[in-house]
Amino acid sequence: MLPTFAYIRAQSLDDALKHLAAGGARVHAGGTDLIGCLRDHVFHADKVVSLSAIPGLRGMTAGRNGALRIGALTTVAEVARDATVRERYPGLAQAASDVASPQLRHQGTIGGNLCQRPRCWYFRGEFHCLRKGGTTCYALAGENQYHCILGGARCYIVHPSDTAPALLALGAAVEIAGPRGRRTVPLEDFYVLPSTDVERETVLAQGEVVTHVVVPRPGAGVRSSYRKVRARGSWDFALAGVALALRFDADRVVDGRVVLSGAAPVPWRSREAESAIIGSRLESAVCRRAAAAAMANAVPLKRNGYKIPLFTGLIEEELEKLGRA
Amino acid sequence: MTPERDERYWEEGLDIPQTPVPSGDPEPWKQTRIVGTLRPRVDAYERVSGTAVYPSDVVLPQMLYGAILRSPHANAVVKGVDASRAQALPGVRAVISAFTPTDRSIRGHETLLREELFVPQCRFEGEVVAAVAADTPYQAADAIRAIAVEYDVLPFLADERRALDSDAPLVHETGNRVSAPGRYSRGDVEGGFAEADVVLEREYRTEAEIHTPMELHGCVARWDGDALTLWESTQGVFSVQAQVASALDMPLSKVRVVGHYMGGGFGSKLQPGKYTLIAALLAKQTARPVKLFLTREETYLAVGNRPPNNMRLKAGVKRDGTLTALDFYATGTGGAYRAGGTGALDWLIRDLYACTNVRIETQDLYINAGPARPFRAPGHPQCAWALEQLLDELSDAIGMDPVELRLKNVPSVSQGRGNAPYTTTGLAACLEEGAKAFGWREARTALLRQPDDAAVRRGVGMAAGLWVAGGGGPPSTAIVKLFADGSVNLNMGASDIGTGTKTVMAMVVAEELGVDPDAIQIEHADTGTTPYATGSGGSKTVPTESPAVRAAALDVKRQVLDIAAEEMEVAADTLTMRDGKVVSTADPTVERPIAELRGLRARGTVTGVGYRGPNPEGKAVNPFAAQFCEVEVNRRTGEVRILRFLGAHDSGRVMNRLTYQNQVFGGITMGIGLAMTEERVLDVDQTGKMVNINWHDYKIPTALDVPAEMTCLPIDRPDDEANTTGAKGIGEPATIPTAPAIANAITHAIGVRVTDTPATPARVAQLLADARKGG
Repeated sequence: MLPTFAYIRAQSLDDALKHLAAGGARVHAGGTDLIGCLRDHVFHADKVVSLSAIPGLRGMTAGRNGALRIGALTTVAEVARDATVRERYPGLAQAASDVASPQLRHQGTIGGNLCQRPRCWYFRGEFHCLRKGGTTCYALAGENQYHCILGGARCYIVHPSDTAPALLALGAAVEIAGPRGRRTVPLEDFYVLPSTDVERETVLAQGEVVTHVVVPRPGAGVRSSYRKVRARGSWDFALAGVALALRFDADRVVDGRVVLSGAAPVPWRSREAESAIIGSRLESAVCRRAAAAAMANAVPLKRNGYKIPLFTGLIEEELEKLGRA
Repeated sequence: MTPERDERYWEEGLDIPQTPVPSGDPEPWKQTRIVGTLRPRVDAYERVSGTAVYPSDVVLPQMLYGAILRSPHANAVVKGVDASRAQALPGVRAVISAFTPTDRSIRGHETLLREELFVPQCRFEGEVVAAVAADTPYQAADAIRAIAVEYDVLPFLADERRALDSDAPLVHETGNRVSAPGRYSRGDVEGGFAEADVVLEREYRTEAEIHTPMELHGCVARWDGDALTLWESTQGVFSVQAQVASALDMPLSKVRVVGHYMGGGFGSKLQPGKYTLIAALLAKQTARPVKLFLTREETYLAVGNRPPNNMRLKAGVKRDGTLTALDFYATGTGGAYRAGGTGALDWLIRDLYACTNVRIETQDLYINAGPARPFRAPGHPQCAWALEQLLDELSDAIGMDPVELRLKNVPSVSQGRGNAPYTTTGLAACLEEGAKAFGWREARTALLRQPDDAAVRRGVGMAAGLWVAGGGGPPSTAIVKLFADGSVNLNMGASDIGTGTKTVMAMVVAEELGVDPDAIQIEHADTGTTPYATGSGGSKTVPTESPAVRAAALDVKRQVLDIAAEEMEVAADTLTMRDGKVVSTADPTVERPIAELRGLRARGTVTGVGYRGPNPEGKAVNPFAAQFCEVEVNRRTGEVRILRFLGAHDSGRVMNRLTYQNQVFGGITMGIGLAMTEERVLDVDQTGKMVNINWHDYKIPTALDVPAEMTCLPIDRPDDEANTTGAKGIGEPATIPTAPAIANAITHAIGVRVTDTPATPARVAQLLADARKGG
């Protein structure tokens, strides 16, 4: 059952920002995550501010320098089926079509997918955990089979988004509007590790809203992909995932990013894997080395040791595949 | 010997006198016109259009909404309940708990209440602490949150594998064993192993599963004076009636339970819950009808599960495939109370394969968790997971095809029942015809040509099974009423739990009376208006009810033909009923529409009553099965994709090919859940609470987890000795061999054995990594 809250359908961005300034106000985009969190008492809301009536936040337009500017209210399904996205950013199209289930993709938004709260079952359940202002991370000594192997400290969530690693690999940025004006933040700097702040996943301050996602034009020779391993064919988050956006010169990798999902509290850029492949052809030995490098600093918890061989196999397979593409 | 009586939830072979059919049992059908065809459900339109009224759709004038406060702790003493804030909230009409003055007329009821409605010590997360009734569901939910409970939180035990450790917390003062171990033996097991050429011993585990039917558990309760009516989502209205009447100390005649439509149960709705009594008490206290349906989260905790099982199996086999000995030790847990944690778990060991030397020991254990309930073929899929995997390994060890090894050991008698012969056994036919239709041998040969180092490898696997019940039996009474215009009403007590019971029974009536099945009005599952029936469970509904329904239809037919014979001036035994007419079998031009029978118009209706006769004495009636599948395994990531499945089933006569196929596909889908995705996860080291308490984290298979290529191969052989329609059950056998067939296919693909469910990429990736290290 939902708790009581005030509901406002903002008519403009300024209107929304005015209502969101107060603590206890929450953004409502697609609502697929918000409603569940409210229903499960994960957090509280005095006021729910819907963005759905604000013009200009839904749909895709051409940005500067050939970039693609995606309105935050564009649904995940719209991103997944967009012809430009499929042609220029296959990694993003794949990630968007791997999200949740058809119903959720048609209701959920790209902005919401980037800003969703973690799926840790302690965070979502009746546990007053560290991320909810408590004193304990239950995952550390508990049922941590789906938790992180990289970047954990105090709290051991994994970031649940599929589109975030794909966009991060493609060098995307988010445009943010807030009470103190607008700013653009590269996705790489958007997410916050628990060692920095255990109660937030992003740099968004109270009252700030993601309005657009800007994906730069891919240079010549860029190939991208996303692959997600999960326990069930639909409506499931990643056990392990990898987003690749690599620039090739002939068959040699000259630049690019390797970003993992299901590995860390934020979409995890593996510079170790990147340095193992940049300058090389993606031959199997190189791919194997890169996969091992990505896991070199991984520290499994009691119940998620499988993630090391799983990620190793996955990264190896995806690199080989992109090398052949 | 069949499983212990107190572990059984079905009733079979009750020796009760029934009125015999005047002419004795009817002959088996030779040729049928309607029975056996592929027929959509008689209530398909109502179900699909939403006009079917399920108990959760019932809305009554002045109705209140109930809600239950449950213990958030795995083990805690309730020191006090302060409901003052809740009682002061708008719309709240009643709050009940152990600390409020409540109607004390409730009696302890061993299976329903255990001890009391509100127990002083909550031994599992989700045990009932208090309940409210309010004007709206929101007010009821707010009231629940406003109740303050003082708990004394105690140490808990959430893993039955630790139950017998010396330092394990005790769930009950008497210890963590539910009872002394269950033991069974025949022959000389050590001698059997000595005879064997190969002896293997392995350990297996299946995780607890939750039923998760679409419709939540609950009811609507209304009092009219001292009579109570319950609209309950149930598999058996008469068992709800009996248990509620007993607990409330009321005459059965004053408790009416209505359960027309219901949205699934899988065994978890064979009995009422505490929620049923709470709804009745709240309704009584407020003098208003009360609707009380649980939340999805509550159903994960408190209304049933398939118990987790730990199994050790040792088996010996000779080179020629003769099984020489089976030694089985297993533990399990039905939660904090006696609920059959090892119920029927050993039946396949006793009965599936011919084996002279068998030894079994099972130990049921307590933990601080919600109660187990019968779950689609209790015990059997778990035991099949062990037995059918070990058979596969044995066949490999002696270099014999897995199908051949099973065929070598097909029994003709039920060894678990003192060698009682089966009325029919289609086990060999399931194996042979299934293997042929699947292309088993061809697939095994073709897959040998796969490169050893392929990243993605395919495998095929199979498994067999039987179901301990599935023959049904008395009692059952059915009433068929033919109106003067030839239209028909069928009245029976059984519930249609979504399997198509009503459709099958309409087809039986139509077969005998020559009417359109869709034209038959069915009244059922109402203790006030229909005759007694046992609950729909145990895969016995069709074999139990269809003979009674056939007898009732034949009773009508005899009376109608007598009337017609007199009016048509021909002998009754030369007449039959077809397409709304009475027709001469000797001369088809001699016919008369039923609506024109004067004697029928004068009487208004003809009523026939039919009873279920006894099962054949000294015989066992069981359904048999073999399933085959092909999988693809990614050796880097541990991902398993199921490519195709075939279910070959001997369930006697196929009554309706469509609903039969629905059961086979549904059973396979549920088996895929056991094998691949489903698992109750308790926070064993910290709180004992269930952590995956929602439909996302508790993963039932989706459409994408079920192969596109599914084949249902009925071994359609009427079991004429079993009953007068020749049908056996199909609902439960359909899910028994599925999980081990998948496990065997995975091993065939990658050479690694998955001994514990579920075979997620996490588990398979880890097993592959361990194998690489080991190798």
